[in-house]
Amino acid sequence: MRLAEPLRVGPLRLRNRLVFSAHLTNAAVDGLVTDQHVAYYAARAAGGAGLVITEEHSVRPDDHPYEKLIRGWDPAVVPGYRRLTGAVHAHGVPVLAQLNHNGGQSSGMYSRRPVVAPSPVADPMFREVPCEITTAGIAELVEGYALVARHCVEGGFDGVELQCSHASILRQFLSPLTNHRTDDYGGPLENRVRTVREALVAVRAAVGPDRVVGVRLCGDEGIPGGTPLDEMVRTARLLEPHIDYVNTSIGVATATLHLIEASMHVEPGYALPIAAAVRRAVSVPVVGVGRFTAREHAERALTEGHCDLVGVVRAQIADPTFAAPLLPPAPAASAPSQVQESHVHEPAVQQRGFPVLWGPERGFPEPGVPERGFPEPGVPERGFPEPPRRGGPSERRSGQACIGCNQECVGRVGLNRSLQCAVNPRAGREAVPLPAPTGSRRVLVVGGGPGGLRAAATAAERGHRVLLCERSAATGGQVALAASAPGRAELGHLTRDLLARCRALGVEVRTGCEVDADLVRALAPDAVVLATGAGPGRPEWARGVDRVVDVRDVLAGRAAPTGSVLLHDEVGDHAATSVAELLAARGCAVRISTPAMVAAQYLGTTLDAEMFHRRAHRAGIALDTDRVVLAATARPDGVLVRVLEHTTGAVADVEHDWVVTAVPAEPRDGLWTQLRGRPGVHRVGDCLAPRSAGAAVRDGDRVALVL
Amino acid sequence: MVVTEVASVHDSDWPYERAPLAASGWGGVLAACRPHGALVLAGIGHAGGQGSSAHRREALWAPSRVPDVVSREVPMAVEQPEIDALVAGFAAAAALAAAQDLDGVEVDAGEFSVLRQFLSGLTNRRTDGYGTDRTRLLREVLAAVRAGLGDDRVLGLRLSCDEMAPWGGITPDEGLATAAAVAGAVDYLVPVRGGAMAASRPDLHVAPGFGTRLCAAARRATGAPTVLQGGVVDPAAARAALDSGVADLVEMTRAQIADPDLVAHVRAGRPDRVRPCTLSNQRTAVRDPRNPVVSDEVEPSAGHELDDEWPPPVDPVPRDALVVGGGPAGLEAARTLALRGHRVRLVERGPVLGGALHWAAAVHGRARMGLPVPWWAAELRRLGVVVELGVEATPDDLDAVERAGAAVVLATGSRPAPPAFDSDRPVVAAGEFEAAVLSAGSTPAALADLTGPGFRKATMLPPGFRNVAFLNPGAVVVRDPIGDGTGVGIAEQVAAAGWATVLVTPDQVAGTQLARTGDLAPANARLARAGVARELRSTVRAVVDGRAVLEHVWTGEGRTLDCALVLDCGHRLPADALWRARPHLSRAGDCVAPRTLYEAVLEGRRAAAAAVSR
Repeated sequence: MRLAEPLRVGPLRLRNRLVFSAHLTNAAVDGLVTDQHVAYYAARAAGGAGLVITEEHSVRPDDHPYEKLIRGWDPAVVPGYRRLTGAVHAHGVPVLAQLNHNGGQSSGMYSRRPVVAPSPVADPMFREVPCEITTAGIAELVEGYALVARHCVEGGFDGVELQCSHASILRQFLSPLTNHRTDDYGGPLENRVRTVREALVAVRAAVGPDRVVGVRLCGDEGIPGGTPLDEMVRTARLLEPHIDYVNTSIGVATATLHLIEASMHVEPGYALPIAAAVRRAVSVPVVGVGRFTAREHAERALTEGHCDLVGVVRAQIADPTFAAPLLPPAPAASAPSQVQESHVHEPAVQQRGFPVLWGPERGFPEPGVPERGFPEPGVPERGFPEPPRRGGPSERRSGQACIGCNQECVGRVGLNRSLQCAVNPRAGREAVPLPAPTGSRRVLVVGGGPGGLRAAATAAERGHRVLLCERSAATGGQVALAASAPGRAELGHLTRDLLARCRALGVEVRTGCEVDADLVRALAPDAVVLATGAGPGRPEWARGVDRVVDVRDVLAGRAAPTGSVLLHDEVGDHAATSVAELLAARGCAVRISTPAMVAAQYLGTTLDAEMFHRRAHRAGIALDTDRVVLAATARPDGVLVRVLEHTTGAVADVEHDWVVTAVPAEPRDGLWTQLRGRPGVHRVGDCLAPRSAGAAVRDGDRVALVL
Repeated sequence: MVVTEVASVHDSDWPYERAPLAASGWGGVLAACRPHGALVLAGIGHAGGQGSSAHRREALWAPSRVPDVVSREVPMAVEQPEIDALVAGFAAAAALAAAQDLDGVEVDAGEFSVLRQFLSGLTNRRTDGYGTDRTRLLREVLAAVRAGLGDDRVLGLRLSCDEMAPWGGITPDEGLATAAAVAGAVDYLVPVRGGAMAASRPDLHVAPGFGTRLCAAARRATGAPTVLQGGVVDPAAARAALDSGVADLVEMTRAQIADPDLVAHVRAGRPDRVRPCTLSNQRTAVRDPRNPVVSDEVEPSAGHELDDEWPPPVDPVPRDALVVGGGPAGLEAARTLALRGHRVRLVERGPVLGGALHWAAAVHGRARMGLPVPWWAAELRRLGVVVELGVEATPDDLDAVERAGAAVVLATGSRPAPPAFDSDRPVVAAGEFEAAVLSAGSTPAALADLTGPGFRKATMLPPGFRNVAFLNPGAVVVRDPIGDGTGVGIAEQVAAAGWATVLVTPDQVAGTQLARTGDLAPANARLARAGVARELRSTVRAVVDGRAVLEHVWTGEGRTLDCALVLDCGHRLPADALWRARPHLSRAGDCVAPRTLYEAVLEGRRAAAAAVSR
């Protein structure tokens, strides 16, 4: 594999081409590096990454756009730097620090100071007019970069990367959108690049020749009038004498974040044309990025010549050992084939090649991951399986593929919360020690959705003997159903990977096996984890009206609405939007209505809103907000719905052929009501309270850790 | 009496990142407050289904599986073990407060509380004893708290008596009946409105003292010592409530954030010196994931008592000082300089003090924003500051003043930015529009005819404007790329005058930044009722032949509509010509970068300190 080949970057020799590139974690406390940072980055180094680049370190006190930013300018950071770099170096992995000043992509909320930028152009998200930075201010800024670079050297970093991309005053200098200056720092590109060059010269002087200096450049801001790709390539060429590598990016964090952290609706490798264009123009190594969720994606980016290194973030959050197969075989206990086996999602997109560069003006690629079948049901046997052997390769990695859901990583970090992961409940909690194992118990898990599968996998990891019983013919629960909707196929990896993990750990999985209190008594387990899930909810107004059905009924094929469909959404996530798209694709005239102020409100946090609106517009899906359904009456060929617009009090009767509801699910907690109060009985996931798949996974892991 | 921020009585509750758990920190507050003669009570509660699972990462606790209307998160329905843990948690928190020698506790059954969720038919759908008698949990909790607290300390109850959701929520009748039923178990009662649909601390759109009727009724119904809550910010209103028998005590929270010396001023017989509270809620929201610190936009050192040197010291050598500009930054700079002992002159180009605040207060529904201006004027008079209106300072003037040894602060405000789009219809910036509104008489009648004599006097309007509106009876397009109170208020103002009004915003809702003030949903409902068309996720590309060309910011879909006039609520630019001429001088507020009142006041203080230290 090219990915496994070493590469020289400036003075450094990397053991492989896989980079854990810079991203926010919100792990800082009071602006300093924490034990969580140390454990988090070290876990990816231990897992096989060739290079770690940390999140940004701020170079000036007036730069404080979000609460948990590392204060690189403060000498107090150095001891934390030493712990971080020491922990990463312990695994033979070099680590770089990203230096940054967010410029006008910020507010004075935390700093209580004016924000500075090349020109007084308010950022589209922060919406605060910045103060035009003076030439003296530019000199201080440049000195800030040098100061933090010195802190980094003192703290043991192998080099630094200057962010000129997502949220950066250096990009603001480069971009004609935000640099309206008429002095030596504005106007032609040679002027706009001046601040970056001055910062690079100062930083190089600070770190010396033995350390790496790189830049991260934005090749497409995704905003009309922004930096064109050919200009970004010219910038790279102008900066080349000062740098050891070029990292690439797409999008602006405060305007087009969905381009930076694209969700599962965007194909892997989508930003590679930027890296390819730069690589044709410069001789230093180039890092390519773009939602690589499988090593095969990354390998292909190299073999097709788009880049020299591949930045992979979310896949390594989901699975810290993502890069493990790139490492040379250890003398013993290593069995790459088994590691491979748990990585079941060999995606079909691999055969399709990478898409051409896309952007808002060019339209977005269609969702492209075809549905794959589910694993065969387990062979029913009686009794609990033998505990798994310890120390085998299956324990080296959790084997969860990133599904591009963006719920707990992007979604949380954007809300000032610590980075976590929907498929990996321990991500973002690496520094939290696991409780001591309690010895081997016999554990019955009821239900094979995400909560049950995760509980089974964790229990088995902890040395318990685990039997998982699933009522239906296949595991996966509601995740499998949700994954059958348009564009949502990658969700399916969540439960398929967990099933593979359960199998590798020796969990016995019985499908078609309904558990009742008698069976529990007969099996006499030491502990029972109920993960019996939830089914369609039924609003009171829908009682007795056959043509009012739940989104789950549509996805499962129990109902096939035609004609005009009102999709009434009281949840606000993909359940409504994906079913709306499914029905629209089948030729229905779909109208989504919601009591909320915003249709599909939760698509915003996962960066899916913009692309959904584009798809909805193309599909003719209409959106109504502030609507409450008061009543529904069956008509011969449809449903008469009485709708209240609660902001005005206006009531209207509208007839639709079908009404589809997305409302909170109804927990299946019958078994709980029979078993509750008995020792060792727990419940997780939707049967406790219907929430997200990530919540079910967390419940399952937490409960299983302390059985 | 000081009641601390509500602390969670059980670790199942972590409603916002910095929410406290009932813990040992109360003792420090007590030690700091008791020497001043204040009683200290601990607020204790549990947010139930209105919490957030973002921090604890487990299912929320609630009476029934009813998702919160805002977060939409489905909680778990608590069963007997969780109810027992809740009651025990309240008892333990009360015992902890007693152990730390606090004067008592206030139990929260108000806007954000599991106790209210049990009381309300909207959220309690249980069929067990806690559903058939929805007051049962509250009664059990109060008994447990009394047991934990002992009889010699105060037990207060903050109780929602009106959820303003009469189709299923707690009505005043029901709430007062509950209050009467538990009055014997408590030492005082704070009847509040509040719940999923009603904020107990709404912004300036709700008139101060809105809790008066509810409080009076509760006092009659219970006979218990009763606390008036509800935007009471004026000492005279507080006194009237006590004198007229509405209440026994008055809660003045935001008022004392705005002025920590409120009580001292009243005691000294100088209630006029109390810094007014605008009730804008701009800096008082806590349930915001960014973890803002509670503060006040006219008293920016609130919440920063350990960070700021405030009140300022008196400087050893008095100097002459000149402040250029009579907006908030200049007013506060002049006040600060005078407090520091200097001889201050303030010059203002215009005919009145107030600057941009004067215009902001002219926006529909935002008159309270103007309250600080007369307070500042009175403060400057009291401190002997010389105020000169209609005086424009030139660079030469500044040089002369500096040569004479005076300190100078520039606070010259902002100017409109050139329109970001081409238009063949007038484009008027929001501030200049409000200036015109003020000169036209500021009434719907004056605005009804935008070509009328009153409005025509508005000299800021471009030539030809008066005829365009007459000939082209299209909509007034309010372009709002910011989403604060200005765009929404101007749209309401224009619509109230009878004009077809279209608010164009790039966001998914109008006034998106009002989320932090609590006015987001009310503002959008007001716009809907006023008939203001909201063009969401849209931007104005151009106005051609009297047709505004709008573009969907995501799909690129274009639409056009008849347009008589564009009111541009976009960002402004600093009016910094004086500073550019003399860049060594201290400057503050919008002439640094046009922002909000908070930054203007804060920088006024800082620029004053910087000017006399050079």
